Amino acid sequence: MVRTEDGSRATEWDEVRAACGSAVSSLRDALAAVELWRIWWRLGIQDLRLRFRRTVLGVGWILVQLVVMILAVGAVYGSLLGQDLHAFLPFLTVGLVVWSFLTASIVEGGSALIASEGYIKQIGLSIHVYILRCFVSVSISAGISFAAYAILAAVYRVPVGSGTLWVIPGLVLLGLIGLFFIVIFAHLNARFRDTAHLAGVGMQVLFYVTPVLWPAEMLRGRSLGWIVDVNPFYHLLEAVRQPLLSSRPATFENYVVGLVVAVCLGVAASGVVAFYSRRIVFVL
Amino acid sequence: MAQLSVRGVVVEFKTDAYLRTTLKATALDVFWPRRASSRTVRALREVSLDIGAGERIGLIGPNGAGKTTLLKVMAGIYPPQRGEVHIEGRVCPLFEFATGFEMDATGWDNIRTRALLLGMSARQIEDKIEEIGRFTELGEFLEVPVRCYSAGMLLRLTFATSTAVEPEILLLDEVMAAGDASFIQRARARMDDMMERARIVVFATHALDLLPKICERAVWLDQGRIVLDGHTPDVVGAYLDDVERRRD
Repeated sequence: MVRTEDGSRATEWDEVRAACGSAVSSLRDALAAVELWRIWWRLGIQDLRLRFRRTVLGVGWILVQLVVMILAVGAVYGSLLGQDLHAFLPFLTVGLVVWSFLTASIVEGGSALIASEGYIKQIGLSIHVYILRCFVSVSISAGISFAAYAILAAVYRVPVGSGTLWVIPGLVLLGLIGLFFIVIFAHLNARFRDTAHLAGVGMQVLFYVTPVLWPAEMLRGRSLGWIVDVNPFYHLLEAVRQPLLSSRPATFENYVVGLVVAVCLGVAASGVVAFYSRRIVFVL
Repeated sequence: MAQLSVRGVVVEFKTDAYLRTTLKATALDVFWPRRASSRTVRALREVSLDIGAGERIGLIGPNGAGKTTLLKVMAGIYPPQRGEVHIEGRVCPLFEFATGFEMDATGWDNIRTRALLLGMSARQIEDKIEEIGRFTELGEFLEVPVRCYSAGMLLRLTFATSTAVEPEILLLDEVMAAGDASFIQRARARMDDMMERARIVVFATHALDLLPKICERAVWLDQGRIVLDGHTPDVVGAYLDDVERRRD
């Protein structure tokens, strides 16, 4: 067959079309997996239940872990930084809950597909079911920890009013970012098995630079406030913390940065799904 | 109406992915490459097959011919690098039995998980779970975490669960290896029942004497290509002749 200039360009265009077609079908496949909520919801809950199966307290360990951490860190850092415990402990709790949700999304998200390798290679179910299953177990863990915060807030009489409802957009942003983290790291970590570990180390370093254990005002006072403002996780934290602690919305800047981060991660997650979902089974 | 067709399907595996499974290894490979090019194994080369409702197909061929790969393409597990797959009807795959378990969960939990993944609703699972448990004949072992099970026990668990699904398309991959005599006898009866209810059955096997009784059509695969596709006794005969010829 003679290949003319047009002919060779035609086959390249076909390949591009085929790649786009498979990208679109991967995205459609991901959205279709949401309909299978009965499967991933039950699997997520079962995962959580099994994790604590042979323990005395069961799922209650999540609460115990958090409470012990708050008491220890709160007592030490509270006096170290000269903070009033009434305001500091709730502040610390919300920060820790949000941070562990984000870290779990990365680290547990990273093994979402690897852990389900047996199922993926035997049953022709969309791999996104296993990603959503991970999201369920990570979210419910965080939800239980939030219950610990609610108790603490009641004890320390944190002001609650209609302004507290502003936490909802913050939680929506947080949930979306967590989901996108799981999607991205589940795929990347399946291919490069050290991705989640490296990202986890990155989060550990970020933990010390982000106002979780200490309030942002302390840095602003020393005119180092830019360290805080440049950190997108700070803004996400504020979107959840401000409404809960002072019953008013976070600043406009907080919400804008949170939205931009969510959109960027959403685009990255869609890209990963479009170009990698179909090939993931070959690297497991 | 159940239907299964694959057209021009190509499936390739890269064999040296294990050399670059971490970012570190990949980065090192950029500076100090160990190999000039990666090796690709073509498991399926331009395979086309049309299966209509009511057909029972046997897949035969030597080890490494691509039978398992073809079955997995039909199950929707491996998306082909090229070609199209068209599946209509609920697929029930019965492949390997050593993996796909929650090791710390009990037999009952694993039955529920697998049944869910195979598409059974919660109501159906509750209706059938007693019967599934009885078929496994694992008794009290069902309350014990699956990490304690032997290969035969795992086989019974998976088999009992997978065959409780009402399949329209049944895909079987040389499944009987680990069972004991009594289980195989009961399993055969249950399989026959399941095969009767299924509209399409594709069965990869080395048990060539059994095949003409189960499937009226057979496909001989070798090195990723279809060598012969037709009436079972003819295909089996041709395959065995070829094996004899190669031996001489």
